[in-house]
Amino acid sequence: MTSIPRLEVRDVTVRFAGLTALDAVSFTIEPGSVHAVIGPNGAGKSTCFNVLSGVYRATSGSVRFGDAELTTMPPHRIAGLGLARTFQNIALSPLLSVRDNMMLGRHRLTRAGFVAAGLRLPSARREAARHNARAEEIAAFVGLTERLDVPVGLLPYGVQKRVELARALCMEPRLLMLDEPVAGMNGGERRDMAELIMAVRESLGISILLVEHDMGMVMRLADAVTVLDFGRLIADGPPQEVQNDPEVIRAYLGATSETEEAAS
Amino acid sequence: MSKIITVLWWVLVAAGVVIAPFYLDGIWLQDGLFAMAAAIGAIGLNLLTGATGQLSMGHAFFLAVGAFGYVYFASVPEDGGHGLGGLGLPTPLAAVLAVLLSGVAGGVFSPIAGRLKGAYLGIATLALIFIGHFVMSNATPVTGGHNGRPVPPMELFGFAFTDTPEPLVIAGVPFGALERLWFLGVALLVGAGLFARGVLRGRPGRAMNTIRDHEIAAGVMGVPVTRYRAGVFVLSSMYGGLAGVLIALVFRQTVPDYFGLILALSYLAMIIIGGLGSVAGAVVGAFFVSMLPSLFTRYSDALPLVAPTGQEGVGAAEAAQILYGLAVVVVVLFLPGGLFGLFTRLRLRLTRRTAPASPAKHALIPTPETRN
Repeated sequence: MTSIPRLEVRDVTVRFAGLTALDAVSFTIEPGSVHAVIGPNGAGKSTCFNVLSGVYRATSGSVRFGDAELTTMPPHRIAGLGLARTFQNIALSPLLSVRDNMMLGRHRLTRAGFVAAGLRLPSARREAARHNARAEEIAAFVGLTERLDVPVGLLPYGVQKRVELARALCMEPRLLMLDEPVAGMNGGERRDMAELIMAVRESLGISILLVEHDMGMVMRLADAVTVLDFGRLIADGPPQEVQNDPEVIRAYLGATSETEEAAS
Repeated sequence: MSKIITVLWWVLVAAGVVIAPFYLDGIWLQDGLFAMAAAIGAIGLNLLTGATGQLSMGHAFFLAVGAFGYVYFASVPEDGGHGLGGLGLPTPLAAVLAVLLSGVAGGVFSPIAGRLKGAYLGIATLALIFIGHFVMSNATPVTGGHNGRPVPPMELFGFAFTDTPEPLVIAGVPFGALERLWFLGVALLVGAGLFARGVLRGRPGRAMNTIRDHEIAAGVMGVPVTRYRAGVFVLSSMYGGLAGVLIALVFRQTVPDYFGLILALSYLAMIIIGGLGSVAGAVVGAFFVSMLPSLFTRYSDALPLVAPTGQEGVGAAEAAQILYGLAVVVVVLFLPGGLFGLFTRLRLRLTRRTAPASPAKHALIPTPETRN
């Protein structure tokens, strides 16, 4: 297992025309920790995710993963460094089977090109067999073994979310970024997913960045929490500390306006 | 059980293909050969448009590059008269070079093809048709101008794909150019189909499908999206080039006007009617679109509303065009998986009847949302 580097986000600002989606945000994900980013809708959580994975360009600031500077890299190069992510709105190929979707995660670890695949060269076949075996292991870990050959589009939402996670795990990531992994799930599914995330952390020892609205889950899983509001960082620290931060409570509950109303 | 049926089915198809030249007239063989060439071209376009979601309206341009490339490489230069140029290379080498030349033409365009997507690429590739037509009409020493030029027959290891010199007779049937080309066409189509299937089912195919379904996800999963789009464009151009070579060999004369917008659109119709994204869909669609006009011409007296050749009314060719225009609309509205998708669903329904304890249904048809 290769060493897990630290991810350092320094003064990252993202502007879309007149709107500042992220305003000089800084935080650090320690190797092997679960780091949660929370905040009300529109706080800039997903923008932050998209900057880290190279989908958006930061207007200024830097993101370092070990020695690599991520802000200038295209998404596929960032993936090559071992940053894997899932999508809040499922981004799988609905016509492909679970197996094929997962095998896409192996893309960066495999080499077969057009000629090798078209001619079914022995090297391509051996490679496919080897990586298929690993994908089956991961499917067993995530609990998808029976669904491997079912097209993803036919699976229920909760299972598709698990396929997203399985595909990201297939990349053998060093940093796993989960964008609202339990959004829209029922209680049982939420518990299963939380257990799964714990199991990933325990068995692989990788860093996990979690964006989530489910506060119970964040408090249970996270080692550190960063809170964003309107693109600004308003709190950063261990869950217990953040939970009692007056700034955070105001952002979530709108305490200021309530007190104002009470006063008037 | 179903495996035995599949094997039997393929044995039947293979037997039919081998027997066909012994029973069919020359004109049917020619139509069949055009359909095979179209199938090769359509497979290439389906890799690009069906599997990767990149619309191309310029496929006919690459067919033209293949056809004229072959003619130029294989022709012996004429000194007098029109002054048609040529390299006089051995014909198999000329064919390979023509396919590579199409790939190079695709490669020259690929920086654009890699960066544009969907309808934007469609409009950009449309330009290729017009540029190609202008070049073909004016580069007379290479293309022969408006009238085109004759195609040197293929000669493979001393075996010429011509009617002369001596009529080869097998089982009482004279084996002329078309009969001989028939087997060449089958071999090329099978090879092209298997290669494309390997690509689609392997690592590149998964990357292509994800680029079509979710471009951002593909990039984040480590697929260099721009490079892949460019690569698929080159591969698709080479398929077009091979189709062009075969069309030239069957037609025996290449004419610039043939490789126009209508041809490019008919290739799009083929993959939509047959089924987007699969090799079988491209082949089914190619045969449907290429054989329909001849079927109508041949049986025009038996069909209602279709006037026999030489009489007033809707002619066979027009009727065929109307019908395949209609087929595109019907397929888009009611059969999202195309004719091949319909076939798969029927087969699934049949196997389910014989084996009631079948697993969850595996047939899923592409939805319009996933096409761009």
